[in-house]
This record gives sequence, C-alpha cells and structure tokens, in this order.
Amino acid sequence: MYGLEALSMLELVDLSKRFGDVVALDGAGFTVESGRILGFLGPNGAGKTTAMRVVFGLIRPDAGTVRWNGEPVGPAERLRFGYMPEERGLYPKMKVHDQLVHFSRLSGLSKAEANDAVDHWLGVLGLADRGDGKLDDLSHGNQQRVQLAAALAHNPDLLILDEPFAGLDPIGVESLAETLRELASGGVTIVFSSHQLDLVEDVCQDVAIIAEGRVVLSGRLDDIKNRSTKRRLTIDIDGQPWIPDVPGVEIVDGPGPSHCIVDDDAPIADLLAAANAAGTVNRFVFEPPRLTDLFREAVKS
Amino acid sequence: MKPWSQVALLAKREFSERVRNKTFIITMSLLVVAILAIGPAVNFFSGGEDEATMIGLAGEELPGIEQELHTQAALFDLEIEVARFPSRDEVETALTEGDVAVVLVEGTQIVFHENVSSRLTALVHSAIDTTVKTGALTGLGLSEGEIASVVEPIPIEVTTLEEQNIQDDAKRGAAFVGAIFLYISIIMFGQFVAMGTVEEKQNRVVEVILSRVRPWQVLVGKVAGIGLLGLLQLAIFAGAAYISAQLADLPDIDVAAIGLPIITSLLFWFILGYTFYAFLYAAVGSTVSRQEDLQGALMIPIALILPGYLLAIMAAEDPDALLPTVASWLPPWAPFVMPVRIAAGSAQSWEIAVAIVGTVLGAIALVWIGARVYSGALLRTGGKVKLREAWKAAAE
Repeated sequence: MYGLEALSMLELVDLSKRFGDVVALDGAGFTVESGRILGFLGPNGAGKTTAMRVVFGLIRPDAGTVRWNGEPVGPAERLRFGYMPEERGLYPKMKVHDQLVHFSRLSGLSKAEANDAVDHWLGVLGLADRGDGKLDDLSHGNQQRVQLAAALAHNPDLLILDEPFAGLDPIGVESLAETLRELASGGVTIVFSSHQLDLVEDVCQDVAIIAEGRVVLSGRLDDIKNRSTKRRLTIDIDGQPWIPDVPGVEIVDGPGPSHCIVDDDAPIADLLAAANAAGTVNRFVFEPPRLTDLFREAVKS
Repeated sequence: MKPWSQVALLAKREFSERVRNKTFIITMSLLVVAILAIGPAVNFFSGGEDEATMIGLAGEELPGIEQELHTQAALFDLEIEVARFPSRDEVETALTEGDVAVVLVEGTQIVFHENVSSRLTALVHSAIDTTVKTGALTGLGLSEGEIASVVEPIPIEVTTLEEQNIQDDAKRGAAFVGAIFLYISIIMFGQFVAMGTVEEKQNRVVEVILSRVRPWQVLVGKVAGIGLLGLLQLAIFAGAAYISAQLADLPDIDVAAIGLPIITSLLFWFILGYTFYAFLYAAVGSTVSRQEDLQGALMIPIALILPGYLLAIMAAEDPDALLPTVASWLPPWAPFVMPVRIAAGSAQSWEIAVAIVGTVLGAIALVWIGARVYSGALLRTGGKVKLREAWKAAAE
C-alpha cells in the first residue's frame, strides 16, 4: 500500500465540519491513487460538495487534513489541481479564450503556455472556433465544455469535478467519459461526484460513498464487489414477479423477472427448489452486486 | 507562483475588461470633449470684451464731439469706434441688432437698447459736457491752454480696502471643482468594485477563482485594477480641464501655477480616498448575492461620503471654519475636505500630516475589516449575508 504509488495520491483524512447545528462532514475520508478515477457518491446533502470545497481551501474544516503525495495541501499544491464546481459559473461577458487564459495563468502558467493549452483544449472539446466569442453567446452544452476547459486547461495533476455529467445529453456524457478516461491514462487523478450510478460503474475504478458526513464505503470497485457478502440474483419464472419465501432475500426491483439481493451463503438449493415449485424457471442467474445495490446497502446502514 | 503575481493578474483583468468596455470609452470620450469645450465656450460667450465698443451719433452733432468721445474713452480705458446714422429708424435698427452699444441723438439724448450702462452713460455724458464747456469757453475768448486747465479731468485714484486676489479665488474654485471630481470618482469606482464583487457572486465564477487564489488576493486585485482605471480617468479629466483652462482666455490667472499643484493633490487624495472607500464598497458588495439587492447595501458608504462632499463645499466657502477644519483631519472626510483647505492655503503642515497618516491608517483598518467580511461572505449565496455573520464566518 505504501509503495511508489502511495507517493502520488490524494488523501482526505477524518474531515469534520459543522455549519451551526448542521453536521456536514463527520470524520469523512478516502484515498485516490494517481491515474485513477474515483466516483464520489452519496445522497443529496451527504457532504460531497463540502468535502470537495475543503480540498480547495474554500471551506476550512473543523478537523482533519487533506494530503497530496503525503504532504498537507496548501495554495502551492492547489495550483496543480483543477476544480469544476457544482454551481457552474464563468464571466458571461468575457471572451472564452481570454477567460480560459486568465484562469490558466492564475494557476501558474506563463502567457505562452496558457495560450497553447487553451488552444489545445478548445480544439479537443470542439470549440476551436468559439474562442473569440463571449461565453454568453454559446449554447448551454458548449458553456459546460468551457467550464470543463477552465478546470483542466492548466494541465492539473488532480481533477475534481462536482456533478460533471449533470445536464449533458447522451453524446455529451459519452465524450466527457472518454475525455476523463484519456486524462486518467495520462496519469491525472480524477474525483467526480454523480447521481448516475450506471455511469460511475462504467467510468470509475474506485468509489467512495458518503452518507451523513461519513464515508461508509470506499475502495476499488472490483474489490468492493468481490468483498461484498451480497449477490444479485435474477429469477425469471414465466416472466412473473416471484417473491421467494426464504430468509436473507430482498427484492430490489420488479415487476417482470425478480431481482433479488441475497447473502452469498444463502441456501441456493432451497431457493431453486422453491422456484421450480412456483413454475417454469427460464432464468436463475447469480451475479456480483451492482454499484446501485452496494450504494443502497451502504447508505441504508 | 507568487501571491502578488496572481494579484497582478487579477488586477490586470479588472482593468483591461473595463477599459475595453464600449460604454466606458464612449462616456469618457464625451466627457473629455465636453470639458475641452468649456474653455473656448467661455471665450465665445464673453467674446465682446476685446472688440471696440460702437458709439453712434445721430442728428445734429456737437462740433468736436467725436474727438472728445475718443479722449474720454482713453480715460475710461475703453476702445471705441464712432458711427453716424442719418435717420432715427436706422438708429433703432442698429441698437436692436447690437451693432452699436449706445447712440447720442441730437447731442442731448443718450439711447440704449434695453439696459443702461452707467459706464457708457458717464463716458458720453462727460464727452458732451466737455464739448459744450469747451465751446462756451472758446466763445468767451479763452486760449486753448486756459480752456484745457478748466475742462481737463482731475486724475482720481480708485482703490479698494482689500486687495481682490483673483489667483486665490481661482485656486479655491479649482480645488472645489477638483473635490467634486474626487467625490464623483470615488463613488463611481467604489460602485464598480461593489458591482464587480456581486457580479462574481451572482455568476458563481467566484468559486472557480477561489479554487486558485485566496479571497484577499481577489479583493486587492479588484480594488487595484479598478483603482488604476479610476486614476487614469481622473488624470485624463484633469488633463482635459487643464488644457481647457489654457484655451480659455484668462489673462489674470496663471493656469499652470494654480492647475498643476491642484491636479497633483487631486490624484494623490484620490488614491488615499479611493483606497479607503473601495475596501468598504467591496465588503458591502460581498454581502449581497444579486445586483438588485446592492442599492440598499450601498447606503453605508454613501452615508459616509456624502457629508465629506458637503464639508468640502463648506471648506470652499470658509476654509477656516471649525467644522470643515476638524473634518479635514479625519479619515472618512479628509480626502474631500483637505485638498480644498490646502488650495485655500489655510491648512498647516501638521494638519496635512495628520490627515494623510489618519487616512492611511483608516485605509489599512478597512483593508483588514473588508478582507475579513469579504472572505466570510463570498461563498454564501442566496440571500443577504449580515455583516456580523460574514465577520464570524471568516473565522470558520
């Protein structure tokens, strides 16, 4: 665990933050290794945005630290980070190219570097001919792309995106997912929050699930799935919903074929016998749990 | 990346985005043209002074009256020309159209158009009197020398108890105009600071900025960038006013001697006054989330600035009065009142020192207070943040 990889990673350690009577973070923490994509999940108000803001020093935590490569994060480290806040916002009346150069230079790029980087990213994001226009004149989707460009035009080592997929059409979702995968394969560490769990399952290698200010589950998605004592069972009996009367079985959705979550030590023989007794079994499939199942389980507890 | 290089980048953006703004450029150009036009306009409207005053003669003439009018005019220090009119109708036309200032009819009647000029009346009357007396004395057989000794006017000296000092009046007037410029500029650029702050909150761009720099850097960069623009605008206006004053024909006033120190002092006090108020404007601006809510919050700086303006008016009238004197020492008002007192020559050097040190200390305090409120309120969107809440939030 503390090999070479441990030298290049983001650690959130025991973060706590109260706003008056509201507990936003209650000892939350997780770790992302370099070049990996972590999906940061949690119900609304669980503390995702607060945790992200803490990383950028926008909120001072009551307790806990954020480390990058083992060192506490300060203003110098943050210049190597890129952030796309949940509340999107740039200068509406400023030329797209000008403001991206401005933000990149604030992050420490020279004028020439900033110009090159902005040209590069506008090209990659399909906005090469929009640089001289005002942000206001762009479509909603293109404004989203400019917002992403503002987060990554200074070539950060760590990218933190708050709900980056919100409001994108399916093509936009796919192209953003592709961009994130390419960045990660280039060594950029990425953390993003999302409510679209299928998407997270598709894009992320790691997850951290936060509920009521605490991280209730975190780690590599594969490990978590393997470690889970739950299995997803799909049973199709004549296309009818069927509820097995066996302990430790929980129906997760229906109607149609029944999807159940079962413990991995559930009596499979008993289940199958009960199913056979109920009708013709077309399908009886065990799978690792899906992220949705893990999320529901984690948040419930 | 040094914190101050980031501040410089932030200041540069504030300056360059605004200086390229079309409304700003047009408004400023129009004002510069207007200021430049004032000087020549003054010349145009007071233009008649240098031209010869036309005096008309009509009907039967006293012999030698024209010669005597010129002699009298020389004594009155007035340049005249004499025109003759054969008929009463022509006299009326000439007077109505302003071709002549006054007409002497039949040697006994002095006719003006509307307003009687006592100076011209005295001049013409004196000429008539001398001509008539000379004629009478000649008839009595007196020699020219004897006549002259009777009718020659006795030289009389006219003086005033107190010397009217045009230079001092001009200085005080110019300083007062400067104070008005200062007042307008501080309010205008202070509001730019407040509006810029609200804009960034309203657009939510503030979070993108604050992920890179600290709130105090945003604050100082904004105040500096907008302040430089204000200084530039004020310098351009002052330069235009200076040129305008040079273009105006003011023979008794030394424009350079009066104008240059006042312009220097104006720019100096703008820097102090603007710095003092800009941080206050930024602090109150940061407490609201929408432009619509800004007007109410701006009452706080206005309530401090407005008395300064009124005290500057008082100082222009009587620079030694107690109220403007005390106000000129105190930070919120010194930038408005002190330049007027300095121009009037009524401020002692210790007073100027107190005013400068006080304003600098006040500005430092406001930078500190403003920065704290600003950082506490910047990320709070939605409603209006109370100043006290923002103050406490900054500690969180």
